[in-house]
Amino acid sequence: MQSWREQPAAFFVFILPATLWLLAFFLIPLALIWVISFGERVGPVDIAFTWTSANYLDALDPLYLKLFWRSLWIAAVATAVVLVVAFPVAFAIAFAPPRAKPLLLLLVVLPFWTNMLIRTYAMLAVLRGNGYLNWTLEGLWEATRLLLTPIGLGWLTGERFVPLELLYNNTAVVFGIVYVYLPFMVLPLYASLERLDRSLLEASLDLGASQLRTFLAVVVPMARPGIVSGLMLVFIPAIGTFLISDLLGGPDSQLLGNIIERQFKAANNWPLGAAMSFLLLYVAFALLLVRAWLGARGLRDA
Amino acid sequence: MSTVPKRVFTRRRLLNTGVTAAVVLPGLSGALKAQAREVVLYNWDSYIDPETIPAFQEETGIRVRYDLFASNDELFAKLRAGNPGYDVVFPSNDWVARMIAADMLMPLDHDRIPNLANIMPRFMDPRHDPGRAHSVPYFWGTVGLGYRKSVASPTSWGVIYTDGTHAGRIAVQREIDTLLAGLKYLGYSINTTDPDEIEDAVQLLLQAKAGFKTFAPDTGQDLLLSREVDLALEYNGDVLQVMQEDDDLSFVVPEEGTILWEDDMVVPRGAPHVEEAHAFIDFVHDAENNARIAEWVMYPTPNAAAKELLPQEIIGNPAIFPPDAVLDRSEFALYQGEEIQQMRNDAMTRVLAG
Amino acid sequence: MLRRGPPPGPLDYSRRWWLRAWLALTFVFLYAPIAILVLFSFNDSRRNIVWQGFTLDYYVKAANNVSLLEAFSNSLVIAALSTVISVVLGGLLALALYRFRFPGRPAVEAANQLPIVVPEICMGVALLVFFAEVGWPRGLPWPLSLSNIVAGHVAFSFPFVAVVVRARLAGFDRAQEEASRDLGASEWQTFRRVTLPYMRPGLIAGGLLAMTLSLDDFVITFFTSGPDTLTFPVKVYSMVRFGATPEVNAASTVLIAITIALTVVAMRLQAPPKAGG
Repeated sequence: MQSWREQPAAFFVFILPATLWLLAFFLIPLALIWVISFGERVGPVDIAFTWTSANYLDALDPLYLKLFWRSLWIAAVATAVVLVVAFPVAFAIAFAPPRAKPLLLLLVVLPFWTNMLIRTYAMLAVLRGNGYLNWTLEGLWEATRLLLTPIGLGWLTGERFVPLELLYNNTAVVFGIVYVYLPFMVLPLYASLERLDRSLLEASLDLGASQLRTFLAVVVPMARPGIVSGLMLVFIPAIGTFLISDLLGGPDSQLLGNIIERQFKAANNWPLGAAMSFLLLYVAFALLLVRAWLGARGLRDA
Repeated sequence: MSTVPKRVFTRRRLLNTGVTAAVVLPGLSGALKAQAREVVLYNWDSYIDPETIPAFQEETGIRVRYDLFASNDELFAKLRAGNPGYDVVFPSNDWVARMIAADMLMPLDHDRIPNLANIMPRFMDPRHDPGRAHSVPYFWGTVGLGYRKSVASPTSWGVIYTDGTHAGRIAVQREIDTLLAGLKYLGYSINTTDPDEIEDAVQLLLQAKAGFKTFAPDTGQDLLLSREVDLALEYNGDVLQVMQEDDDLSFVVPEEGTILWEDDMVVPRGAPHVEEAHAFIDFVHDAENNARIAEWVMYPTPNAAAKELLPQEIIGNPAIFPPDAVLDRSEFALYQGEEIQQMRNDAMTRVLAG
Repeated sequence: MLRRGPPPGPLDYSRRWWLRAWLALTFVFLYAPIAILVLFSFNDSRRNIVWQGFTLDYYVKAANNVSLLEAFSNSLVIAALSTVISVVLGGLLALALYRFRFPGRPAVEAANQLPIVVPEICMGVALLVFFAEVGWPRGLPWPLSLSNIVAGHVAFSFPFVAVVVRARLAGFDRAQEEASRDLGASEWQTFRRVTLPYMRPGLIAGGLLAMTLSLDDFVITFFTSGPDTLTFPVKVYSMVRFGATPEVNAASTVLIAITIALTVVAMRLQAPPKAGG
């Protein structure tokens, strides 16, 4: 890493476009909402800027904190599952024949180029009580019973097939998050695994390390930037999700994102919605700052 | 709060062709803007028959542009920062009142809408817009229970709130109608401002919650059709739609009465084509035009002259035109100022989050 | 283990049966709903719920549905513009953060990741208020009428690109750049011949994410669109609630088919890219 003073022209060419765009179309718009979070509603539309802290106090209601906790928990479980599912996928793509890589990568994102709502409807058709998955399972159950009954083990399968309840609960919400955010883990993992130096793996194996040991001692450390990026790209957006819990969740699946959305829309309470959004932002920004600072320190030490 | 009526295709017809034939590609629209007279509509999808817009363009020479929204709360959230160029929008009764309170709507010039004479008198002085100063009714309808006839025969809201025999087979709405129907079940007005009565309804719902399969984002009719639930709190038109696909489904307005809704045509402030907007509103309420639209969308029309022209199978269908006895016990949701709205919304939030 | 051909070498991971099985299972997981989506595009029912019989009607209807096609083409144009701009901005930003030390660096890095964090609805409303406050011109000729949507999409997409490219650059050995310069290459030649090729997998991955984000976004699009700019997600959201879905399935199926066809053709035409940097 070099000081920006060594190449000021290159530095500004690199950093200004993104930063200016961020300023114009994100930070300034967001500042407007930040101001609203200190406002007071007067009438259906007008907001008086009184610099009240009432919205933040309202947002810290135990009821909302409970939802925040539930959202964190669901996002954490889903993120862990995404990591476990995505790692071998990214690994397989990184080691695939070069010609196949673009197609495999494309196949990972292609499902998401259809519309989210339509795709979710299709997912409901797979998962619902009399959906295709339960239908397949029932077929398997019938077959098993036909096989087991002649040898006197028919009782093992139970009296009748009980369809799995896969929808309208928190497990379904986790499932939905895993589905939607899978590419957000696979792609950063791929980007960092792709540079994996095969000679290091060979060296490790030649020196007698097992495949597993090689994986843990060589592959995982080298993939770490990708893992950290992937965790960030999945976990943080998953905390604020609301469509997935709306469509797949049950009566106890409301998340923080749903309540924030409600404030901006149905409840017409922008100041409270703004305050909730900013509380979420502060927490996340603190995490990002810590990470950026640790990253900078790590690089300096290296 | 939101009373989100659903727009329906009630029969298998060419979808959208009329509306879409009217939409000129955006590239052309800029170039033509200067010369042509036009009107920009902001409506629910599939909420007008395919012939009306071409007929309007033919008769008046006014070009129609068309954009779509999916719920009242989205519409309101989008317009409250300013009108980006819409001339006629179609919000529901209580949202119309809220928009009037926020001074977002232009007063209408009744002289330029002679077909207002066709509107039934009882629709001409509603509580949400006295004297129809800002709005003209489009269609109206009810909230009720869609159900599977072979396993349920509901007559009271109690079947979803207290009865228990259908636990786990019930879908209710995520929106406030679930709370309002609870108030109705308890014998209160849906427009009550008494915190104790609202609290009663919250407690009722919190207890009933374990028996709900989900708070559906207005997809109750789909859950009915796919046999995920046997009972769904839904809008009449939504259920009517799936009834076409499955004979075992039906719709009833419970005996306690229900929530009525009405969609209006309004002209938001800042509309660029006010004169054309009036012309369109008038055109919709021509008896023949209105009857054609009504027959297509299958909602009850407030237009008396058009109702005369409708076939008996529509007028006589209790799922479309509810019987008077039901209407007598039902109410339109009112907008009673932000404080009351907030109290009701907080109550619903507590039900959802609790 | 598969016994076709010689047994895989220790690094032949792509031929390990368990890795292949895992990949296959993941694709089954990802594509099961898509298969149903495609299947229902041939379903003779207005709704995506119960199979009623085979028909091609919805393809005909989708092809004749002018507002659906308009929404569809608007969305593709928005996604293409947003992806290109996001890849450039995100790539440059990642380079800056990788290469330079400067005051306030952690804050700049964290601020650039905020769009990943902010709830969509909050950003949608923020942009709505912003465009109304600054009086962003309305009624512009197409495609300029899409400019505010594109601006919003880029703002929430480029941070994703930057994060992915950053992860990629973390393994870059700058000695390669120095070697290139020592061999007489200019700054620009070094960038084109050494740095850029190394970044490429990250740029591709980031671009795919940006494209996905843009095509799938409803909330921010809704709040930034005007009367002239109907987009696919907005159209779909207003349609599906009222049961006109198979047309949308048909349109989505066509998009999938075209994408796969184009990719296969591109793979045939292009020499296989070199693996790694």
